[in-house]
Amino acid sequence: MTKYSNSGEHVGELLSGYIDGELTQQERQRVRLHCDSCADCDSTLTDLRRLRQRIGEARLSDKDRDNWRESMDDTTVKATRGIGWLLLIGGALIGVGVGVYEFIITPSTLSFIEKLIVGGVYGGMLLIFISVLRQRLIERKSDRYKDVEI
Amino acid sequence: MKTDDMRHELAQLGGGAHALATQILGNPDDAADAVHDSLEKALRTPDSYDSGKGSLKPWFLRIVRNRCIDLIRRRRPTEDRVEEISDSAMGPDKAAELADRDRVLKQALASLESEQRQIIVLRDYMDLSYAEIANVLDIASGTVMSRLHRARVALGKAYREL
Ligand SMILES: [Zn+2]
Repeated sequence: MTKYSNSGEHVGELLSGYIDGELTQQERQRVRLHCDSCADCDSTLTDLRRLRQRIGEARLSDKDRDNWRESMDDTTVKATRGIGWLLLIGGALIGVGVGVYEFIITPSTLSFIEKLIVGGVYGGMLLIFISVLRQRLIERKSDRYKDVEI
Repeated sequence: MKTDDMRHELAQLGGGAHALATQILGNPDDAADAVHDSLEKALRTPDSYDSGKGSLKPWFLRIVRNRCIDLIRRRRPTEDRVEEISDSAMGPDKAAELADRDRVLKQALASLESEQRQIIVLRDYMDLSYAEIANVLDIASGTVMSRLHRARVALGKAYREL
């Protein structure tokens, strides 16, 4: 392995700055002059260049552009779906509220007991609907990865 | 920036972001989640990107890195995570699929400290400038060259010893 120190003569980290094009004109000049006469720094420079190229060519991720495009589509679908659900549930709640209000307020031939029974039937249906919905939402969440793969 | 343009550019950046996240989290699956979350965040708040202040790449990589740090914090609440996560890299199955050269490089990378792995990926894999690296890593720009150089020397040494 090439040895160098950061003291005076060797150019050390400037070698990295040199291959990255991050040096001033003066510093570049210094590196060039130094490497002309120092075999150690010159070979380090070659090593660093090779390493940089090697990393540039490597595949450090196994996922390509299409994967991330799909990932983003998934995100948009989720967001739109979220808004859709919000509207649906909001609308349904308002509908139910108005219905219950009308049902209680409207004078009708039904007695209080009869109203209670009818109310119970509809209330039960609503609860079942909500519970199924909740279950489905929970399943969806844990199925996130299945969704992505399809 | 128009959302369609941003989506297009983000899709291009995904692979590099995933490479960075893998180096921070030490696991490609967690990394994919982190990138996914980051894409979501970027698309949700596209206006927080100011093209006058630089390119999309460092802006997005910063989001990814912050997301990874969040995940690590959640994983182990008390310890200093970033340095701790180092060496797990990839499982033996995954490694077997990868080209031999890449496998050796990844092994060598895994022997470095977290910040050294990140700085190398940002520069040599993602081609960020020193100023952009300083921005992503939240370090003084004057220290990028020396940190990067130390990381490269360490990587070169590890690479030769494998
Ligand atoms: Zn020298």
